[in-house]
Amino acid sequence: MPKEAQSLLPSDVPDRAVILERLQRVLDPELDEPVLQLGFIESLHVHEGHATVAIHMPTSWCAVNFVYMMAEDIRHALLAVESIHAVTIRVGDHFAAPAIETGVNAGTPFAEAFAAEGGGNLTTLRETFLRKGFTSRQERVLRDLKDAGLTAADICALRIGDLSFVGDACLAHCAGRQPVEVGPADTARRYLQRRGDLGLDGSPTGPLITDLQDQPLTVERLEEHWTRARTVRLSLEANGAFCRAVLAARQTSSHELSFLGQTKRCQR
Amino acid sequence: MYTHNGQDIFVVDGHMHLWDASPENQRPPHGKNWIDCFYAYHSGLSPADEKWPYEKFCQYGEAALVNDLFVKGYVDVGILNSTYLYEFYKNGFNSHQQNNALKAKYPDRFILNGSFDPRAEEAGLEAFRHMVEQYPIAGLKLYTAEWRQGSKGWRLNDPWAYRYFELCQELGITNIHVHKGPTVYPLNRDAFDVHDVDYAATDFPALNFIVEHVGLPRLDDFCWIATQERNVYAGLAVAMPFIHPRPRYFAEIMANLLFWIGPDKILFGSDYAIWTPKWLIEKFMAFELPDDIRQEYGVDLSLETKRKILGENAARLYGIDPAVHREKLRRDAIGVHLAAATADQAGAEAFPVASVQEHA
Repeated sequence: MPKEAQSLLPSDVPDRAVILERLQRVLDPELDEPVLQLGFIESLHVHEGHATVAIHMPTSWCAVNFVYMMAEDIRHALLAVESIHAVTIRVGDHFAAPAIETGVNAGTPFAEAFAAEGGGNLTTLRETFLRKGFTSRQERVLRDLKDAGLTAADICALRIGDLSFVGDACLAHCAGRQPVEVGPADTARRYLQRRGDLGLDGSPTGPLITDLQDQPLTVERLEEHWTRARTVRLSLEANGAFCRAVLAARQTSSHELSFLGQTKRCQR
Repeated sequence: MYTHNGQDIFVVDGHMHLWDASPENQRPPHGKNWIDCFYAYHSGLSPADEKWPYEKFCQYGEAALVNDLFVKGYVDVGILNSTYLYEFYKNGFNSHQQNNALKAKYPDRFILNGSFDPRAEEAGLEAFRHMVEQYPIAGLKLYTAEWRQGSKGWRLNDPWAYRYFELCQELGITNIHVHKGPTVYPLNRDAFDVHDVDYAATDFPALNFIVEHVGLPRLDDFCWIATQERNVYAGLAVAMPFIHPRPRYFAEIMANLLFWIGPDKILFGSDYAIWTPKWLIEKFMAFELPDDIRQEYGVDLSLETKRKILGENAARLYGIDPAVHREKLRRDAIGVHLAAATADQAGAEAFPVASVQEHA
């Protein structure tokens, strides 16, 4: 749990750990990163079972469809907590903030909330990015396996049950050899989690590395598969880096502006 | 012109603007939102000493542009990618009519790009023809995500867009810069989606499609398309500034582009005034791919490749011979000013725009 998430809620809030854990699962679908880590959650207050969450985006121009998805996901994540019976989302400085807030807080689907502006269903868009996220997560696993010295043949032979977790580390058990440490447990766990989200085989005997159709990769296909996967991973990561840089700049300049505003008031 | 170990490097800024986002020109509320968003890009990725005050960023004017590009910024030729946005700015953000003032004053320093909107259908075809007759339009900048009278954007492979591309071929307009970006209003689909480029590029092999911002944030989809289509190019505007705060990502972006599409189809662009060319070009010339990335991808950002990216690729697309063009530039008002400053050894002073206006 990141530090910023811990500091969001006072320690005496009921179900605090559950709230933060649920929130931790909410992702920016486009970046495949938790909104908590991205710093999109500005504040979170819970009072007598009513949670109020203020989110802020890197720019007031960020694509409404993605903002809507995140706001909806945060609301659903918190409503699933037993002690919370109401959630209000605030969107901060965004050109469509009032419409997003009204829609999300009333539980209105995007298609209805933005019917006049050509809303439509977000399912396909969400699916596209879940799949990109799968590829990106898998690329990190592949990179860890290669860096640990596994050959293409070793990698293609691995089954999900050949991975084990010891503390923060992930171990790979190749047939007839000592287990090898293959990077952080979190990287592999995130990949396996997404396999589950997409309904791909997660049983211990299932192949570890498959394509999106759940077909295991052959040694011949692995290299090409990986060169494509790393471009997907970079696309998501670089986009995330851009959003973080812009959000940080926005926070700095809004602090400067509020400081300047105070100075002006003092002069008057 | 950038000089590297006594060698001249021809620089084309493939994507730059002279915009007016002053409060007087803004229409509420989106005029302010739009420029605030640009300012966040500017402050988020520029080095601290290259950040501008907000007021200057809203409206910087011709003198600042000439200095930032040609006097301090090493640029030889700038491509004015006109951006209209009449719904946000009363007189437009930087229309081709506005940009033409610069083109007329410094004809060899600028390439003027216009635009079309296929949703204007038959009437728009005439207006398009008229624009090309009236202005020295060399290429186009297209915005597929713009809303218009209830339409939620358009696709490059819409039947009416094809009518315009046919007219482009007839009129000899071959370079089509395509911007992919967020819409003002929500869409269920992805406004950054680059797949329509694939259809248009296949069906119009004589046209070149320069995808601005290398499809970021859809770099992966862009790479697949640009790999398959001989006539799809990568515009580096927005990818360039990663070189400062996130050099590792910049290296990976460059390695991916070189791996998938090669050194001949990548074009430098600053997106001025979001970022200024001086620091981008200095950092780019000093930049090397880290060893591990070079080995993993089997590519290199060599001096030869940098020359292509900074100017030779764009010059080829726009039919410019750098050696011939360089001579022309030496003789124009800016060239004379630069030569005098070099002779003084005093370094280039600000270019006196006002005096040129008097002579003109």
